[in-house]
Amino acid sequence: MKKLNVRAFVLIGVYSSVSYLLMLLNFPLPPFPNFLLVDFSDVPALIAALLYGPLAGVFVELLKNVLNYFIVGSPTGVPIGHIANFMAGITFILPTYYVYHKTKSKKGMLLGLAAGTAVMALVMSVLNYYVFLPAYTIFLGAPAMSAPETKALIISAILPFNAVKGSMIAIVFMLLFVRLSQWLQKQTAVHHV
Amino acid sequence: MMNSMIIGKYVPGDSVIHRMDPRAKLLVIFIYVFIVFLANNSATYAILSVFTFSLVVLSRIPLSFVLKGLKPVIWIVAITFLLHVFMTKEGDVLYQIGSFSIYEGGVKQGVFISLRFLLLIMITTLLTLTTTPIEVTDGVESLLGPLKKVHVPVHELALMMSISLRFIPTLMEETEKIIKAQTARGVDFTGGPFSERIKAIVSLLVPLFISSFKRAEELATAMEARGYRGGEGRTKFRQLVWKWTDTAFLAAVLVLAVVLFALRS
Repeated sequence: MKKLNVRAFVLIGVYSSVSYLLMLLNFPLPPFPNFLLVDFSDVPALIAALLYGPLAGVFVELLKNVLNYFIVGSPTGVPIGHIANFMAGITFILPTYYVYHKTKSKKGMLLGLAAGTAVMALVMSVLNYYVFLPAYTIFLGAPAMSAPETKALIISAILPFNAVKGSMIAIVFMLLFVRLSQWLQKQTAVHHV
Repeated sequence: MMNSMIIGKYVPGDSVIHRMDPRAKLLVIFIYVFIVFLANNSATYAILSVFTFSLVVLSRIPLSFVLKGLKPVIWIVAITFLLHVFMTKEGDVLYQIGSFSIYEGGVKQGVFISLRFLLLIMITTLLTLTTTPIEVTDGVESLLGPLKKVHVPVHELALMMSISLRFIPTLMEETEKIIKAQTARGVDFTGGPFSERIKAIVSLLVPLFISSFKRAEELATAMEARGYRGGEGRTKFRQLVWKWTDTAFLAAVLVLAVVLFALRS
């Protein structure tokens, strides 16, 4: 892994604020329950990863959530939603980055985004089942859901929601990537000679 | 709108709580989040509530501000309360309507769990009301200092965090400017079919990423030109001072922990 320098740190900081602002422009998707929100805050993280390596992308995801927790706060007081968002973010950008890195082409990026969406949707379903939904039960004092009930919620809402969310981010990112790929190549060429 | 994005919910003031070292505040809240779960009977919940409300009173922030933080969750709390009242079947029957009966244990359980939840939110709201995000960042950097030994980039994380906080207002202005410029060129950000919306978002993101990248480059060049070379031996503009009141608050929450542990059933 490349060692991050001052340039990378500053860019991560600035892209985290872009990410934070994009996170505020979130919206629910009509058929899904309104605690599941779509936003495009993963896009800056992915660009940071393309510029300075996967660790940079992970930092953007982390800082975005820390900023949001410090400034906006969490309705439950405990940052469960933020941890879930962080996990969703890194499970989306890391597979995308590594698949793209193999070929470094537009087709590779398309494959990468598909892989990212799939991995994110699957991992988040598993994590929701074992970690996040039980955590909400503990901190909210909401009555515990039985295993089949939890499974039904995940299969009917969380899994399709994350798949749709991932595909929406993928579409936006692909359009962006087509316009930015030359610029991105120029930046990486300048910095990693 | 603008203000709430920069300083969050911070209410300026000069109370004991405002003047506390952010490190002490973070430690107190960290301990509090764990000991809230120790309370399990009337006495312990009463003590916990008194402690929390004393902190609110000491902060001299109008109670209405703190209660505003509870607004978004009030329905969840209400539903949880009702579920516990109707579902828990313990203790004596208090009331009977047809086949429904309300048990003493259910009411108790409902009150306790709602109270625990409300107290947790109140204490974290109190932190954001009395501490600016930049103070929290300084506090976290200092508290996580020992992790540098195991090669966690604590200083770098705090640096990135301060840069982000500094750039949020600037980039917000930038975003507004781009939205206006693209609207003037005929992009519709307010509605339209799905494909148009996606195009509108892309037309906002492309210039936003390029211009923020340029800003980052300029700042990095300025820092390098001034000889920035990481956290080692760097002096600080904002100094953290640990006062006796900080020790007192920390001691108070530890005493609270012991008392709760002794009185819980």
